[in-house]
Amino acid sequence: MNATSQTLAGAKGVTASRGRKDWLLRYSTLFALIVLFLGFAITVDRFLTASNLLNIIQQISMLTIVGAGLTFGFAAREMDLSVGYMVGLSGILVPLLLISGVPLPLALLAGVGAGFAVGAVNSALVTLVGVPSLIATLATGSILYGINFLTTGGRAIYGGLPDAYLWMGQGRLLGIPVLAYAMVLFVLLAWFLMERTIFGRYIYAAGGNLRAAELSGVNGRFYRAAALVVCSLFAAVAGALLAARLGSGQPNAGERYLLDGLATVFIGMTMIRPGTATVTGTFFGALFIGVINNGLNLVGMDTYIQSIVKGLIILVAVAIVSRTTKLKLL
Amino acid sequence: MAVSLSGIVMQYPGTRALDDVSVDFRFDEVHGLIGENGAGKTTLVSVLAGSKLPTAGKITIDGRQAVLHSAGDALRKGIAHVSQEGCLVPGLSAAQNILLGDEPRNALGIINKRELSSRAAALLEKWFPEVSIDLDMTIDSLPMADQKVIEIVRALRGDIRLLILDEPTATLPAREKENLWRIIKTLPARGVGIVLISHFLSEVKALSDRITVLRDGRHVSTLASVEASEAQLVDLMLQRAGGAGTGTAAAQVTRTIGDAVLELEEWKAGAVEVDRFAIRSGEIVGLIGLTGAGHFGFARSIYTGEGVVRGETRYKGQSLRSVNARDMQKRGVAFIPDQRMENALVADWDVRENLAMVHPQHATFGSTGVLSPRKEVHEANEIMSLLNIKAHSSAQMIKDLSGGNKQKVSIGKWLYGAGERYSLMIFIEPTEGVDIGAKREIHGHLKRLAAQGAAIIVTSSDLMEIADISDRVIPFVGGRAHPIIERADFSEIRFISAMAGVIQ
Repeated sequence: MNATSQTLAGAKGVTASRGRKDWLLRYSTLFALIVLFLGFAITVDRFLTASNLLNIIQQISMLTIVGAGLTFGFAAREMDLSVGYMVGLSGILVPLLLISGVPLPLALLAGVGAGFAVGAVNSALVTLVGVPSLIATLATGSILYGINFLTTGGRAIYGGLPDAYLWMGQGRLLGIPVLAYAMVLFVLLAWFLMERTIFGRYIYAAGGNLRAAELSGVNGRFYRAAALVVCSLFAAVAGALLAARLGSGQPNAGERYLLDGLATVFIGMTMIRPGTATVTGTFFGALFIGVINNGLNLVGMDTYIQSIVKGLIILVAVAIVSRTTKLKLL
Repeated sequence: MAVSLSGIVMQYPGTRALDDVSVDFRFDEVHGLIGENGAGKTTLVSVLAGSKLPTAGKITIDGRQAVLHSAGDALRKGIAHVSQEGCLVPGLSAAQNILLGDEPRNALGIINKRELSSRAAALLEKWFPEVSIDLDMTIDSLPMADQKVIEIVRALRGDIRLLILDEPTATLPAREKENLWRIIKTLPARGVGIVLISHFLSEVKALSDRITVLRDGRHVSTLASVEASEAQLVDLMLQRAGGAGTGTAAAQVTRTIGDAVLELEEWKAGAVEVDRFAIRSGEIVGLIGLTGAGHFGFARSIYTGEGVVRGETRYKGQSLRSVNARDMQKRGVAFIPDQRMENALVADWDVRENLAMVHPQHATFGSTGVLSPRKEVHEANEIMSLLNIKAHSSAQMIKDLSGGNKQKVSIGKWLYGAGERYSLMIFIEPTEGVDIGAKREIHGHLKRLAAQGAAIIVTSSDLMEIADISDRVIPFVGGRAHPIIERADFSEIRFISAMAGVIQ
């Protein structure tokens, strides 16, 4: 290292100022979240209560899991627009199987299996056929939507769901919602895969510079495919949990998870490594959306106005990313 | 009646591409501009054509000072640039290409085809009455030389006083070259000066009235073409007296040449055909050629298999069925490509992540696929000190590094995890956009790697580099490998004539 020391002095001045700017940029969204949180805490009296905070966690847990999955897709620069309907599909499939007497572990496995199957179809379309993921998943999403409504006739599936399943979505363990544990588990799993394994590193490589990765001997096609499979898998998990929370399988329950899920990733891309989707960023993105939804709800704001506010916030987040880094989606 | 550059300086971070260059380009002459790659020709021309603003210096056009902010700016002031690759739009007719962006339109904005044809024909007739080209043909169906003429006519569309031609004949067959030469020569008499950049010294000498030589960003000399011999020009380009040898110290580390690592037979990739190619361990083989000669494509195809139509491959004595990047990497072939930001590095990553790209498994907990950040930093630091990569830490973003340091990372990622040693390393433009100091270091690393037993293929458009590090050189001409030049016979003249297809 002594050979580099002579240039260190010169380089430090530059990087110090850059570092400060980076730091501000990296955490501006986090500051916004804190300000928002404090704002609600001061102005809305029911906001800062243990039960409400746990409620927020419970509300965002499925969204966070969908977002964590989408983070893999974004990292590999693949977009999955079918996640919302995937949430719907597994949210129907699992209750259907349970009601017809399939044991809980098998039913859950089937839900996850459906996620794997849809992910495999998506990734085959993208990596083998060569359809851009944006279009391929738009199409498979539409197909899933049709399947969801055909199998249920548009009606909710309820009644006779085992208690163990309902506990997963509604119960508590040591005073904390079971869903919160599930969320933490999957966020940690996603974080570990992305930040601490070769698997995650190569997903980032495939998205960061596919050509460089392939010329380095990396199987870019495999990692792009794997990222899409993870998107569907995580959506399937979220769907199974969602139905447990709702106590019924509803064909259209998953729809909002697409846009909100994308939003969590976008907001997340403004922090940690600006311009890059990270699991930590996505988690804070989900928290952001959870706090907004909850706060505005408590204020009693109309849901349609909530939707407008959320849209504006996403626009601001994406504007920040686009202004400061190259926002690379596809 | 001239464009005068005086005291032009172009400073980039870490390098000075132009250092106090002063030249006059007159409107009644063909002015040749020569120099090695990296001597500053391209930068000087970019300044002249308005696409780069110099750090310091003055440009005067007909005695009036001018600042050229853009190519459009330069065009309005009468300076046009025809680049080496050209910028014709395939699929459009020759006439449409001539008037691209300036098409005659009616009140509704619809292009008037008849007027377009007649105006294009009039332009061609005005500048080159002796040339007949069917302007209704699509541009790609015309011979290369005619395409060049079309580009020149397009460039002369406005009120042009100075026309920069960058390697105008590089892609042309010999016969067509002569025609183009004749055409170019008519222009100065009609008030359009030519700045000619060419690798073919004979061409520069035959066409130019005066010749300016650049070396290492400095103006060496401007001399009348009739007064300069080719040998003298080469000496000026390379700065050496007497014209003997290549002037570079051999600096050979003791190397033992071992067994054949790679043997190719009847190899055909794209338009490149090589009957036989072999390289042994410890050996550095340089590939040279003019633009489009196929040496880059050949080097690339050995690793990626891109465009390979047929060919027999023997690697360490074993016959290979398929050639692709993933398999070759596993077999022990390293590939350090040109255009590192596109082909080798992830811009959003830091130095450590980029270094770990090829062999992340060297910094994991056991063989779990779980990365150990501590080991990664350690491993990255080793490579950084081995290659003298200047960054304040392995966590510095790759995009903030200089070209030379980026290139070292691009090489270093193959050395990360010292347990592995590559049997064959293929380098394409190993010192592209790298300053002199880093260039020397990289050459040293190449020699060291060869001394450790790697077989190394280097292809570069920098002939000095090739002469400095290679044991043997294979010149490529028109997609074919020509006879090998051994180290004892290395000389610039020999290289240049071999690249031009002259076999000695």
